[in-house]
Amino acid sequence: MDGGTAVARVLTVGERSFKKEIEKLLLSDGETFHGEGILAITKALLQSGISYVGGYPGAPMSHLIDVLADASEEILKPMGIHYEQSASEAGAAALLSASIGYPIRGAVTWKSVVGTNVASDALSNLASSGVVGGSLIILGDDYGEGSSIMQERTYTFAMKSAIPLLDPRYNLGRMVELAQQSFDLSEACSMPIFYNMRIRACHLTGDFTAKDNKIGKFNANNPVPDQIYDVDKIVLPPATYRHEKAKFEERLPAAQQFARDHRINELFQGKGGSFGIITQGGTYTVLLRALRRLGAADAYGNTDIPILCLNLVYPLIPDEIQDFMAEKDHILVVEEGNPNYIESQIAEIAQRCQMECAIHGKDVLPMAGEYVTDVVREGVAKFLTLVSDEGENSTAGIAEAAIKNEYSVAQSHIRGPMPARPPSFCTGCPERPIMAAMKLLMKERGKFHVSMDIGCNLFGSLPPFNVGNTVLGYGLSLASSGAVGPSLGQSNVAIMGDGGFWHNGFTSGVINARWNEYDSVLVILDNGYAAATGQHKLPSTGATPIGKASLVTIESALRGVGVEWIKYVDSYSLEESKRVIGEALDAREYGLRVVISNNECMLARQRKERPAKAKALKAGQTVVQEKFGVDEEVCTGDHSCMRLNGCPSLTLKESSDPFKETPIAHVDQGCFACGHCGEVAHAAQLCPSFYKAEAIRNPRPMRKFFSAINRGLLSAMGA
Amino acid sequence: MTADRPLCILIGALGGQGGGVLADWLVEASYNAGYPAQATSTPGVAQRTGATTYYFELFPEKNPPMDPVFTLFPATGDLDIMAALEPTEAGRALERGFVTETTTVITGLDRVYSTAEKMSAGDGTIDGKPMMESLEKAAKDVICLDVSNLAGSSASRINSVMFGAIIGSGILPLSEKHGRAAIEEKGVAVESNLTGYNAGLQAARNGGSEILEDPDRPLKPAPASFNERLETYPEAIKATVAHGIAKLVDYQDAAYADLYLDRLNLVRALDTEPTLVLTREVAQRMALWMTFEDVVRVAQLKTRPGRLARIRGELGVSEDTPLRLTDYFKPGRDEIIGMLPPSLSWLLPRIKKLERGNGLALHIPTGSAFGFALLKILASLKFLRRRSAQYLEEQAYMLEWLEAVKAAAALDYELACQTARLSIWARGYGAVRRGGHEKLAAIFTDWSTKLEAGVDKVAADVDQSLLLAHANPDATH
Repeated sequence: MDGGTAVARVLTVGERSFKKEIEKLLLSDGETFHGEGILAITKALLQSGISYVGGYPGAPMSHLIDVLADASEEILKPMGIHYEQSASEAGAAALLSASIGYPIRGAVTWKSVVGTNVASDALSNLASSGVVGGSLIILGDDYGEGSSIMQERTYTFAMKSAIPLLDPRYNLGRMVELAQQSFDLSEACSMPIFYNMRIRACHLTGDFTAKDNKIGKFNANNPVPDQIYDVDKIVLPPATYRHEKAKFEERLPAAQQFARDHRINELFQGKGGSFGIITQGGTYTVLLRALRRLGAADAYGNTDIPILCLNLVYPLIPDEIQDFMAEKDHILVVEEGNPNYIESQIAEIAQRCQMECAIHGKDVLPMAGEYVTDVVREGVAKFLTLVSDEGENSTAGIAEAAIKNEYSVAQSHIRGPMPARPPSFCTGCPERPIMAAMKLLMKERGKFHVSMDIGCNLFGSLPPFNVGNTVLGYGLSLASSGAVGPSLGQSNVAIMGDGGFWHNGFTSGVINARWNEYDSVLVILDNGYAAATGQHKLPSTGATPIGKASLVTIESALRGVGVEWIKYVDSYSLEESKRVIGEALDAREYGLRVVISNNECMLARQRKERPAKAKALKAGQTVVQEKFGVDEEVCTGDHSCMRLNGCPSLTLKESSDPFKETPIAHVDQGCFACGHCGEVAHAAQLCPSFYKAEAIRNPRPMRKFFSAINRGLLSAMGA
Repeated sequence: MTADRPLCILIGALGGQGGGVLADWLVEASYNAGYPAQATSTPGVAQRTGATTYYFELFPEKNPPMDPVFTLFPATGDLDIMAALEPTEAGRALERGFVTETTTVITGLDRVYSTAEKMSAGDGTIDGKPMMESLEKAAKDVICLDVSNLAGSSASRINSVMFGAIIGSGILPLSEKHGRAAIEEKGVAVESNLTGYNAGLQAARNGGSEILEDPDRPLKPAPASFNERLETYPEAIKATVAHGIAKLVDYQDAAYADLYLDRLNLVRALDTEPTLVLTREVAQRMALWMTFEDVVRVAQLKTRPGRLARIRGELGVSEDTPLRLTDYFKPGRDEIIGMLPPSLSWLLPRIKKLERGNGLALHIPTGSAFGFALLKILASLKFLRRRSAQYLEEQAYMLEWLEAVKAAAALDYELACQTARLSIWARGYGAVRRGGHEKLAAIFTDWSTKLEAGVDKVAADVDQSLLLAHANPDATH
């Protein structure tokens, strides 16, 4: 049994449409593409003759996976391109194995750095074997403002596995050109290539001139004639020793040669002079904006200062760096993130060549944090005043002082801080009531440690619930509770989404807990999708990303490994959720106890229900229109309900009674009538202020008749 | 002449407000008008991200000689427009250094409260007035959009109104028709978005909406029979006292309102200040307390004339639309016994269902004649109220409070006023109310002894208790 929701979902999948995007992917030679960065890269893949593509979704590159799923019939099948949304990033990286021995091109994508962490086992092996078919790994680098993950560099993975890393300059035409050249580069150096795109680059808009899509020589419609066996590709000694040598003696030098020949890196000569700037491609436009603000460049990026823009950030090309440094006294390296690998390598090159040039970087720019315009400008200003004879009185020094002053004047008017706005569950989210149930349980039984997982569930750690103590990685909540429970003398308590369950949670969590006989409670939030990544389909959704019915239930997986204590709860029934989680906590003789809440993601549900209701209403069918509300005279304004709810549509409003000093609760028009307000009021015995109202639109004649009688009686009673 | 820099717009929005669509419209409008432009963003998905921003740059020259350099981030001194779909997002942009003397701020005025603001037990909302004043001072110009009151825009979403206002501000070289075409091409809810767009255009051309002071909430008059007693109060507090009388008559009867005035006069006699702050505080707070929400009161409020019509209005349906209405009641033993005189409390058996923390979960169908009649009958029991256990309990707490106020008034006027404000603890239902009573009991125990020991210590305790009453009781740090 699956609680019944998955089967219902199967019938209604495919609610989103990317028709406009698909049209853009079909543009032919000479036509202008106008759209977002990540879609432009998707088009670049199709122009490069790939035979397979895969990935694991996550901001900021989910769009690539979504659009291709919808383009399956129209684009991928005719081109013979194999597509899959992999079970994890490791699975996606493993796809590239097809290019180790066969001359076929392929691309995979995921969110980095987290996805690269997961994929790194496969990546290390892949990088050891090397490839013959061009292999591209598109990384959606979730670093800086708006990021949802820990802040680390992906560069480390490039270095440790000797995988060339592109960090392109953000101009759509250049990005597409570099993506296509990456396949040639990959084949030239026999290595897979990392192609890194920051979050804002994935979402930036622009234009480029399209080329025709290109069908790979070998593909699903024209298979490779023979399988190839080559023991030298196997990652076992002695081949591994040869692989390691090859990386540094053949493959990386080949990559450097290709990059030089094809001018992957760009040199902007300027007017020469005694100093210059080396920048990552991804920070180039930021640097140029900083220079313009400091009076050192115009709006088109023309500047007197020599700039070397590294679109290939690993490996560096020592000759190129050396040429750039020649006859210069000072170099500034603009390198986002830490450790400062590029700066260190440049310093090493300078030292080996015994150059006198001083290398600046993290001495004038911050060690950590996103390199936004203000940060880069401040660092560049320091550099320019340092290298100028006039110092603070140089053009840059004066310009920077003026900007600082402008900033201070504006700041001096601030009278108080703005409220923080951390992320939270959406209106009507089925995960919210589980967090409320946990908070209430803790009030009754005392606090217990809760291990959280990656995904929307993690917001339960934030106000108003504050029920999560730790988070360790995707699908790792249960595994991460292993030593916590015994150490605290309680059962392990872990929360996991269905996304986390299939990604890693089943093997690392459930099977491990069974095998090691954990005394554990696992609460699985089966809302039907990997909701946090943007509603991606999962084995338990009921259909594949391309819309084919296919269902693997969570329960059958659990039963298969011998989990006996499994109970379903309707999370919208707070009393039930609270009771069942309580029972699970008490059933310690059962080992692993699993509570599954399987209410569908409210965003997904509304995406289907809203248009369906509107259509039914238009067609004259009976439709129930629901909303919750608060009787303002009954509400005393102590906001107990808010502290167990956090719903965006449950908000505040000034009471119309001038005697009430605090704002009262109010349900705004965003309400989907999930019922959590009423449930909270009941379960915590808060107050009788909430009501549920259901208007019956287009009633049938019988209903109309009885309703009229009812209204008559009500008005006689003075309603 | 060639342009020397791009025009820059930062859009501050909350998940679900349509900031992404707004950025798309701007890009399309520029594209159609022939200007190079770029938008980027750090959106997550919908409400899950909290605050989110979109950034847009337009180069104000058609067919420039080279590609202009667009960048990814807003910066100090770069912004021509800060477009905030929620006013504190404009405040946040100012905090982050993006709003300066070169920036025109266009902001929606409707607040969307943050979780932190909502969690306080008192009023945790930030004061919008100083924030707007800071923006006025720091920015080149501020254009406000009172979306809920702009003609024709009420049916539209704020992003379309903002789009109209951005075009209407004339800062970008884009005309009215470019904006309109962008909305039509995008094809999302075209009709209502065009309505919003037009409203925004007009508003910006007229310099934006005026920020209206919140109107004073109207005080109700007292019944005419109270005219004589009302005349004994100075003009400054007459309206307040009248509102109190009106509340009490509505709650119980004229005799109850007389009791209110008798009690109030005890305090007034001690009020030495011409401002009568203390009398006003007590008049307001005692009226609220004396109309405490027992089961009978809740039944009365749930069967108010016009309630069903108001709820139909919230749903936007006609008055003959069938309406199902469910009211959530869960009285516990205390509430049910509370309705009875103390001598009759043995009538209610001691069953687990009604113990503290549990309760009788009732879903009352108030939209049906049956459910409505049931509540009407409950409401009619108000003749029993003044003998009920809950009434007696509340009066006892109230009188203790009133005595404390009086005792403080004899020593320190400010302390008396603060003590009066402690009545905020008498709020909520069930456990919340019991918790409040306990707080009051703790502070008023040995009140006169504490006062004798020193007013300063008591004043500090009272201030502390008031702070606590308004704070978020679940705050973790």
